[in-house]
Amino acid sequence: MISADTTLKHYFVNHEQQFDAAKLGMWLFLVTEVLLFAGMFVAYAVYRAWHPEVFLQASELLDWRLGALNTIVLLASSFTVALSIHFVQKGENRKVLVLLLLTLLCAAIFMVVKYFEYTDKFSHGIVLGAGFDPHGIIDGKDYSKYNVPYAAQFFSIYFVMTGIHGVHVLVGMGIFGWLATRVARGHFSPQWYTPVELTGLYWHLVDIIWIFLFPLLYLI
Amino acid sequence: MSDTSHNYLNAKKGLWSWLTTTDHKRIGILYAIACGAFFLLGGILATFVRTELGAPGETILGQDEYNQVFTLHGVVMVFLVIIPAIPGILGNFVLPLQVGANDVAFPRLNLASWYLFMAGALMAVCGWLFVGKVDTGWTFYTPYSSGASNAVLWLTSAVFVAGFASIFTGLNFIVTVHKMRAPGMTWNRLPLFTWAIYATAIVQVLATPVIGITMVLLFLEKLLHIGIFDPALGGDPVLFQHFFWFYSHPAVYIMILPAMGIISDLMGTFSRQHVSGYTFIALSSVAIAFLGFLVWGHHMFVSGQSALSSIIFSMLTFLIGIPTGIKVFNWVATMYKGSVWLKTPMLYALMFLFLFTIGGLTGIMVGVLAVDVHLHDTYFVVAHFHYVMMGGALIGLIGGLHYWWPKMTGRMYNEKAGVIAAILVFIGFNLTFFTQFFLGSKGMPRRYHDYSEFLETFPEFAALNMTSTIGSYILGVGLVMILIYALYSLVRGPRATANPWGACTLEWTHTETVPDEHNFHDTPLVTRGPYDYHLADDVFGPKKES
Amino acid sequence: MAHSHHIIPIRILTVVFVVLLALTVITVITARIDLGVLNVPLALTIATSKAILVALIFMALKYDNKVNLLAVALGVIFVVVFLALTFADTEFRGSMGITEPAIVEPVPESSGYDSP
Repeated sequence: MISADTTLKHYFVNHEQQFDAAKLGMWLFLVTEVLLFAGMFVAYAVYRAWHPEVFLQASELLDWRLGALNTIVLLASSFTVALSIHFVQKGENRKVLVLLLLTLLCAAIFMVVKYFEYTDKFSHGIVLGAGFDPHGIIDGKDYSKYNVPYAAQFFSIYFVMTGIHGVHVLVGMGIFGWLATRVARGHFSPQWYTPVELTGLYWHLVDIIWIFLFPLLYLI
Repeated sequence: MSDTSHNYLNAKKGLWSWLTTTDHKRIGILYAIACGAFFLLGGILATFVRTELGAPGETILGQDEYNQVFTLHGVVMVFLVIIPAIPGILGNFVLPLQVGANDVAFPRLNLASWYLFMAGALMAVCGWLFVGKVDTGWTFYTPYSSGASNAVLWLTSAVFVAGFASIFTGLNFIVTVHKMRAPGMTWNRLPLFTWAIYATAIVQVLATPVIGITMVLLFLEKLLHIGIFDPALGGDPVLFQHFFWFYSHPAVYIMILPAMGIISDLMGTFSRQHVSGYTFIALSSVAIAFLGFLVWGHHMFVSGQSALSSIIFSMLTFLIGIPTGIKVFNWVATMYKGSVWLKTPMLYALMFLFLFTIGGLTGIMVGVLAVDVHLHDTYFVVAHFHYVMMGGALIGLIGGLHYWWPKMTGRMYNEKAGVIAAILVFIGFNLTFFTQFFLGSKGMPRRYHDYSEFLETFPEFAALNMTSTIGSYILGVGLVMILIYALYSLVRGPRATANPWGACTLEWTHTETVPDEHNFHDTPLVTRGPYDYHLADDVFGPKKES
Repeated sequence: MAHSHHIIPIRILTVVFVVLLALTVITVITARIDLGVLNVPLALTIATSKAILVALIFMALKYDNKVNLLAVALGVIFVVVFLALTFADTEFRGSMGITEPAIVEPVPESSGYDSP
C-alpha cells in the first residue's frame, strides 16, 4: 500500500489541488479529442449534405444489427467503468478489479465485432481509397449495384472515423490492462485513485463518439 | 556561474540532466536553443529568396529550387519557429514564475512536448534531405499537394507530431493558470503576459487538433486516394482549405497573442506605471482568441467558396480590429505621462507598436472583399503578414528575450550593441517589407522566382525589389549582431542584479537573480497588482539608475 | 487531507444505463421507419441526449468543478462554429452573383478614361 505522501508531487500544495489539476488537464485533452473527431464529422456532414441519396444507399451495406450490438457493448463498458469509480471511492478494490476486467472484455468484444465487419467489407472490395470496387452478393444485396459515385467517399469516411475510433478503443484496452494490474497490487485507495478517474473519463468519451457514429453511419 | 548561489542552471550538471529535465525553466532553454537554430535556418532560406529576387531574371535559384526554398522557409518559420517560440521559450520560463508556482502542472508532459516538437522537426528535415523536395508552399493546398512528391507525407506527419507538442504546451498552461496560482494571485492580479499566454493556450488546445486530423486526411488522400480533397476522385479541394485555415488562422493568433502579452509587460515596466486599461487588455486577449476562430474564410475569398460565406467572413474579420485596437490604444496610453525608459527591450516594444499597427491595418484592408480580390496572392499580402508575423510576433519575442535575459542567464548584454542592433533591425525590416506593399498593390504576384516579364509595364519593380533585398541584408546583419552579443554576454557579460529593470511582477521581485531550481524559497503571498508602480519603489527592488 | 469527492449512488448509475439502452432501442426502431425529413434530426437528438447523459452522470460533470463543464462547452461551441461556417460555403456555392456570360460594351475611345 503506497502512502498518500508519495503520490503528492512537490510542486502541488495538496492532494485536492493535484487531483483538480489532473482532472482539468484530462478534460482539456478530451476537448482536443472532440475537435479531432469534429474534422471527420464536418467532412461527413458536407458530403452527406451534397449527396444524401448516395449516403443513404451506401449505409445499407453496414449491418445495423452489428452496429447496435457494439453500441450496447460500449454502453455496458461505460457502465462498468462508472461503477468501478464508485467502488474505488469506497475502497472496495476487489470489485474494482472485476469491473475493470469486465470493461476490458467489453472492449475486446467490440474490437472482435469490428474485425468481422472490416474483413467482410474488405473481401467484397469495399476498402479505403482507390481500390474501392464493391462486388459479390450478401443477404440478397448485390454489392456491385453500390458502385456509384461518392459511395467511395462514404466508405472512406466510414473507415477513417471507425478506424481512428478503433485505435482509441485499443489504447483504452491497454490502459485498462495496466490499471487492472495496479488495482491488483493495491495501488489505489479512496484517497488517491486519479488514474482510474482519468481513464474512466477517456473511456466515456470513446463511448460518446460511438454514440454519434452509430446512427450517422449505420442508421440514417 | 561558480560564484553564484545554487540555481536552476547549476543544480544538476551534464547534457543528460538537461535532456531529462522536467524543470520548466530548463525546458524553456531547450526550446530557445531549438527555435534559435530553426530561426537561423529559416533566415538563411529567406536570404536565398530575397537574393533571387534582388535582380530580374534567374540569379541564384531556378524556378523549382525557388519554390522549394520558399516552401521550406514558410514551414520552418511558421511551424518550427513562430508558433512554438514564445509559448515554448518565454511561456515555459516565465509563466510559472509569474503566477507564483513551483512548476507547470504537468512537468513530464512538458518535457514530452519538447521531444515531440523535436521529433516533428526531425521528420521535416529528414523528409527534406532524404525523400524529396516539397514545393507546395507551407499551406499544402490540394490537389497540388496530393499529387506532389512523397516528401509531402513527411512534412504532413511532421506538422501532425509538432501539433501535439503545441497542444501539450497549451494544456499545461491552462491548468497551471487555473489551479496553481500562489495565494492572493487573483485573476485580476495576473500579469498581462500570463493572460496572453493563457488566451493563446485556449487557441492551441481548441484549434490544433483540427490540423492534426487534416494532416491525417491529407496523408491518406496521398497514400490511398480516399477522395475527400482530391477533385480528380470526386473530392473538394476548397474543403481542404476550410480544414487547413480552421487551424491556421487561429494559429496566427497563437503567434501574435503572446507577443502582445510581452509588449504589455514591457510597456508597464519601462513606462513605470500601471498598464492602462489592464482589464481591457486582459479580456481583449481572450476576445481575440475567440474571434480568431470565426474568420478563417478570409484566406479563401478567391478560392471559389460561396459569396455568402465570403461576405460573412469579411464582416467577422473587421470585428478583430476592435480588441486589437483596444490593445494598441492602451499601450500608447500607458506611456502617456509615464517615465519612459528607452532600454533595448522598450525599443522593441515601440518597434512592435509601429510595425504591428501597419500590419494590422493592412490586414483590415485585405479583409475587404473587393480589395482582396485585387491584392490576393500579391506581395501586398506577403508584406502584410510579414509585418504581423515578423514585425509583430518575432519583434515581440526578441524584446521579451532581452527583457528576461538577465533572469534566464544571470548576465547582462551590452546595451549599446543592443540599441544599434535594434536600429538595424528596424531600418532593415521596413526597407524589406514596406517596398513590398508597393510591389503588391501594382500586382506583383507572390511565389514567382522572376519578374522580368512585368518590367515592361512596371519598370519600377526592379528598383523596389533591389531595395527590398538590400533591406533584408541589413535586417540579417542586425539579427546576427543580436546573436553575437547574446553569446558574448553568456561568457563575458556583467552579472545582473535580481531586478535590473525594477519590475514588479513575481519573477523579478520574489526570485534570486537566477531562479532556484524550485523557483521560490517560500510560496509567495501576493498582496498587490502586477504593475503597482505607484506604490513605493523600495517595495519592488532598486530604483532605476539614470 | 480533505477528500470530499461526490460518490454517485449505484441506483443513479443503473437508471442512466437503462435509459441509455432504451434510447438505443428507440433510435434503431425509429430509424427503420421512414419519417421523411424527420429521421435525421430525430436520430441526432437521441444521440445528443445519450451523450449528455453520459457526460453529466457517468463523467460526473453535473457534480464536478464548473470549469470542466466550461471546457467541454467551449469545445462543443467550436465544433458548431466549424460546421456552421463551413456549411455557409458548401451549401451556398453559386447561389449568388451572375453566372451567365454577359456582353460588356467596349468603352468608346474618346471616353476620357486612361487605359490602364
